[in-house]
Amino acid sequence: MPCGEYFTSYESRMGLIPWRTQRVALVFGLPIPFLVPFLVGGGTLTLFTQMYIFAIAVLGLNVILGYAGEIVLAQGAFMALGAYTTSQLLGTGVGLLPAILLGGVVAAIVAVGFGLPSFRVKGFYIAISTLALQFITEWFLNNGQFDAIHGGARQTLPSTPSIVGPVAAIGTDLDIYYLALVFVLAFAMLSLNLSRTGIGRMFRAVHENDLSAAVLGVNVFRNKLMAFAIGGFMIGVSGGLFAFNIGFIDPQFFTLTLTLEHYVMLLFGGLGRVWGALLGVGVVTILRDTLQNGLQVAAEITGTNATALVPVFFGVIIIVVLVVEPKGVLAALGKVKEYLRKWPFAY
Amino acid sequence: MVDVSTFLDITVSGIGLGALYALIAMGFALIYKVTGVLNFAQGQIAMIGAYGVVFLGTGAVLSSPLPAFGALAATIVLGVVLGVALERIVFRQFIGEPVLSVIIVTLALGGIFSGFIAFLFGRNFRSYPAELTFSSRIDLVAGATIQTAFAIAVLLALVVVSALMLFFRYTVTGSILRAAATDEQAAMVLGVSIERTIALAWTISIAITAIGGILLAMSSDGAGFSIEATGIIIFAAVVFGGLDSIPGAFIGAIVVGLLQEYGSFYFEGGTAIVDVGPGFGEILPLLFLLVVIVVKPYGLFGTERIERL
Repeated sequence: MPCGEYFTSYESRMGLIPWRTQRVALVFGLPIPFLVPFLVGGGTLTLFTQMYIFAIAVLGLNVILGYAGEIVLAQGAFMALGAYTTSQLLGTGVGLLPAILLGGVVAAIVAVGFGLPSFRVKGFYIAISTLALQFITEWFLNNGQFDAIHGGARQTLPSTPSIVGPVAAIGTDLDIYYLALVFVLAFAMLSLNLSRTGIGRMFRAVHENDLSAAVLGVNVFRNKLMAFAIGGFMIGVSGGLFAFNIGFIDPQFFTLTLTLEHYVMLLFGGLGRVWGALLGVGVVTILRDTLQNGLQVAAEITGTNATALVPVFFGVIIIVVLVVEPKGVLAALGKVKEYLRKWPFAY
Repeated sequence: MVDVSTFLDITVSGIGLGALYALIAMGFALIYKVTGVLNFAQGQIAMIGAYGVVFLGTGAVLSSPLPAFGALAATIVLGVVLGVALERIVFRQFIGEPVLSVIIVTLALGGIFSGFIAFLFGRNFRSYPAELTFSSRIDLVAGATIQTAFAIAVLLALVVVSALMLFFRYTVTGSILRAAATDEQAAMVLGVSIERTIALAWTISIAITAIGGILLAMSSDGAGFSIEATGIIIFAAVVFGGLDSIPGAFIGAIVVGLLQEYGSFYFEGGTAIVDVGPGFGEILPLLFLLVVIVVKPYGLFGTERIERL
């Protein structure tokens, strides 16, 4: 707690930005993402856009896994549902925004459907059933028999759709950047507010000990389903944006590797922390990009398929993070800060 | 259109496939029973077994490969070593950690294994040395035939399940394993070395799984990345049989093998009654898994967990 600042009311204590330093940081920090496109060139801008899109998916995962504690292994499936729904709806000409939001709704509905078994079972059963969902979705999308529903495994999205209905066509990298930025800010805000209000506290109670939560009068089943709905919606929206950003979709994009990647991002930053999730997405995206380029070069020099080693690095990062600091990098930073504050004393 | 002799044929190969799955599923159930770890990397460990033979026994990577059966034996030894190493390096860190961490760690291990295999061999099918491929089929009664690899699997799975049950029931080590599974703390107080027990469980589990992977590869004359999908299919088997029950895993695996064969014969391709597209054989066990999770989550022989505050 900074020197000379006191909380005089409960509202200020529970505020989104309680401290003066944070308010100053917000004033100076908020314009940065809006100014980024004027500072960096095309490739880096696309990287940032991708970062924001993954951030939305990881925030969704954070709601389900970090807040409500349900292990969901179907990131790829939920994103694919959002992506294919968006693609299909764009064809009908409703506009980009409704298409993406409806994609999110479809993902949310499926997520709730797969959350229904949590009425009877808990923990890893949800992990197993969502893993099954991942495989079923991949099969479904690759299956030509269902082309009437999903419109074919590989699709190209219109490059300059309109925002809503027939008005305001968008399609440049800059447009997509700002669209993703708006979504990520909205969802980060939603997550932060969720975590400091009653719903978030109920989610956390369910996470810590669902039996005690039930004894205290929390409707466990309803809260789990709500977490699935909110998280699924966010992941689905991210899938729609992902599809629009890349311009075409392929079931290959939405495999278990994607799920693993999102887990790396979330665990690296810290489970259940919005800032941790954002930090994790940033660091891991840049790391993956560098790694992929490096391995590409290595593959060309040595003539082996070194790019296949990317999941190996992710796996090692996850295990190391979980061994060294299971609460993530933000918690580790907090520990360092605390140590330096007390130094040279132990307490 | 249901022809009795084809039905019998499919049933037989379903049991054979189920027996292959049974080996991998029992590896899973053993670990879950003793250590409480849900191993999501089971498919990849089976794949290590399958590709281990390719690595040691063919000229794909090594310049002077081992003879076929030597490679087979060496791969099984490799499985044992891998079991010990995994327990030492990775899983010992996670004793007493929440189930989430352990699940993520096994997923990460799966990523590591499949990444390495893709690096060494590419994602292509690699055929086995000629000594280890059986084109012959063994004749059974009523005109049904069975692939030799499946026949070996059925025998081996029966041997393993009975050996494991006898081991758990009648040997001292077996009862130590059971004691550690029932109450870790009490077992420790009574002088049981939990570390050694868990290491033993991992060794047995990974050796069985690797053998299952090798036989799975043999049944299609070589190792392919499709073995990875076994990791999720065996979940259908173990959940149906009850997660912590070894005979349950065996029975569940047979049911799943049958389902997969029926699914791929009657629901896909030219022989189908209702054609729902390629690959449905592997999807049917997963649909079955979802039904089991909703209807009977503790399976046939699983212990129902009762919670108290």
